[in-house]
Amino acid sequence: METAKWAKRSASILGLLAIWLAVGVFGPQTLPGPIAVADAFAGYVQNPVYWNAIVLSTLRVLGAFTIAVLIGVPLGLLIGWNVVVGDFTYPALELVRPIPPIAWIPFTILVLPSIAFSLGFVGFEINTGILFITFLGAFFPILLNSIAGVRGIDDEYSRAAHSLGAADWQTFRHVIYPGALPSVHTGMVVGMGLAWVNLVAAEMISGGGLGFMTWSAYTGGSYPVIFVGMITIGVLGYLSSTIVRYVGASQLPWMEDATA
Amino acid sequence: MSEQESDADARIGSRLQETDGHEELRDGHRNGDGEHGERARATGETLVEIDDLTKIYDPDGAHVTAVENLDLDIGDNEFVTVLGPSGCGKSTLMECIAGYLEPTDGEVLVNGDPVTGPDPSRGVVFQSNRLFPWKTIGQNARFGPQMRNAVDDDRIRELLDETGLSGFEDSYPHELSGGMQQRAELVRLLANDPDIMLMDEPFSGLDAMTKELMQEMLLDIWEEEDRTVLFITHDVAEAIFLADRVVVMTARPGQIKDVIDVDIDRPRDSSVLTSEAFNEYQERASELIHDEAERAMEQKQQETQEG
Repeated sequence: METAKWAKRSASILGLLAIWLAVGVFGPQTLPGPIAVADAFAGYVQNPVYWNAIVLSTLRVLGAFTIAVLIGVPLGLLIGWNVVVGDFTYPALELVRPIPPIAWIPFTILVLPSIAFSLGFVGFEINTGILFITFLGAFFPILLNSIAGVRGIDDEYSRAAHSLGAADWQTFRHVIYPGALPSVHTGMVVGMGLAWVNLVAAEMISGGGLGFMTWSAYTGGSYPVIFVGMITIGVLGYLSSTIVRYVGASQLPWMEDATA
Repeated sequence: MSEQESDADARIGSRLQETDGHEELRDGHRNGDGEHGERARATGETLVEIDDLTKIYDPDGAHVTAVENLDLDIGDNEFVTVLGPSGCGKSTLMECIAGYLEPTDGEVLVNGDPVTGPDPSRGVVFQSNRLFPWKTIGQNARFGPQMRNAVDDDRIRELLDETGLSGFEDSYPHELSGGMQQRAELVRLLANDPDIMLMDEPFSGLDAMTKELMQEMLLDIWEEEDRTVLFITHDVAEAIFLADRVVVMTARPGQIKDVIDVDIDRPRDSSVLTSEAFNEYQERASELIHDEAERAMEQKQQETQEG
């Protein structure tokens, strides 16, 4: 069973590779083939620029995602639970949600500064604009799924809790929160993916990280490196979503198969 | 709490003479405080008083009268079943007693006090199992006492043991069969030690065999401890098998059509189901409910066509 599953999953990656090869043979000559890209990869693996870009992008995603969880989950649970909180916040949030990451960039450049930090031996800079755009990518799926998670809980569970003597906050703690958790978890998996999407869009324009590396490979004419950047982003995105999925599943022992 | 001693004595006395086959009960205990026999427990005091209850859903719109001018008293430690066709407002009645719904008119009094919301003294078992899926059986069982930091582990263990659930403390509800889930929900309720158990068709999702076993188990539990039960069902046999009194409801708007006193010896087991007395009750109840079920069906059809 397990082997068959992994065989299928490997075939899915190999299929992608096959399509790439086929497009390279029949398609435009500007497209670098897998071999040229593998070559560029071999060179880049020894290049600190590559590793710095990976570290920077990963830290940005991690930071933005963490903030999105810390704000999105409690806010979503509250909006779902309390109609008044919902009325006060939901319309504004729905208005902001459809604005694509690219459209935020001018705003962030105007308003959000880069903050320089120094820990004595090492100094670094946080581009809060990129962080904000990345945050938005993770925030909305997490928020919406948290809201939906609460609204999806059958009222009878809350009734049961009340009839067993639970106060409102105890019902929130023992019914609303755990009941919404599977949906929150789904939101986090989706949010992690979208965090990467927004991050790369922001980085391409505002600078730094894998997005900038990929974009400057294009402007500099080293086309195989574009693919090095794209594949790296894909792999990191997949990896981080998988981590979220498994960590989440470990928190949901009562779900029949939370990783599926 | 008002005592109505003479009333109580008369009621229990007559019941014992007419119905109870147990030697030990015949020998003396007639005054309602007997520790010997199960029926002698009923104090005859009114615990729940439903006074002119009317519940209208969506009064400004669809205006559905679920329950209309309903009066019913439920005695302390009495087992009352409410029998009615589907959609007759029997769940509404229960939800008003539980404190989930506010009556449009009239009121529900428990121990003389109006019901204003849910309370742990009024425990509820729902039609679909409402064990918390995210908690283990043990955590579910402890839930009520845990809310007031008063978990009695011995009591929980005893209850799980009695219901054949020991060893499943760490299982999640979805890992258990339907019958076991229903037993676990009963344990959760009993661990909270409610005075009144409100049960809304709790066994309707179970297969016939499991259902019968659950009914017997419920009776065993009820006979052991002082508790009042209001049990809602559309199953005629179930209503009679369990009850001291069967309240037959009409189709919507829900009113009381008739009340049947079930004088069959306790403790009861499934052998009662084939007795002649049982058959007579069943015939009577079936007749009563037949027309109402037809009316309820017509209502449903009409609504579907209009809808």
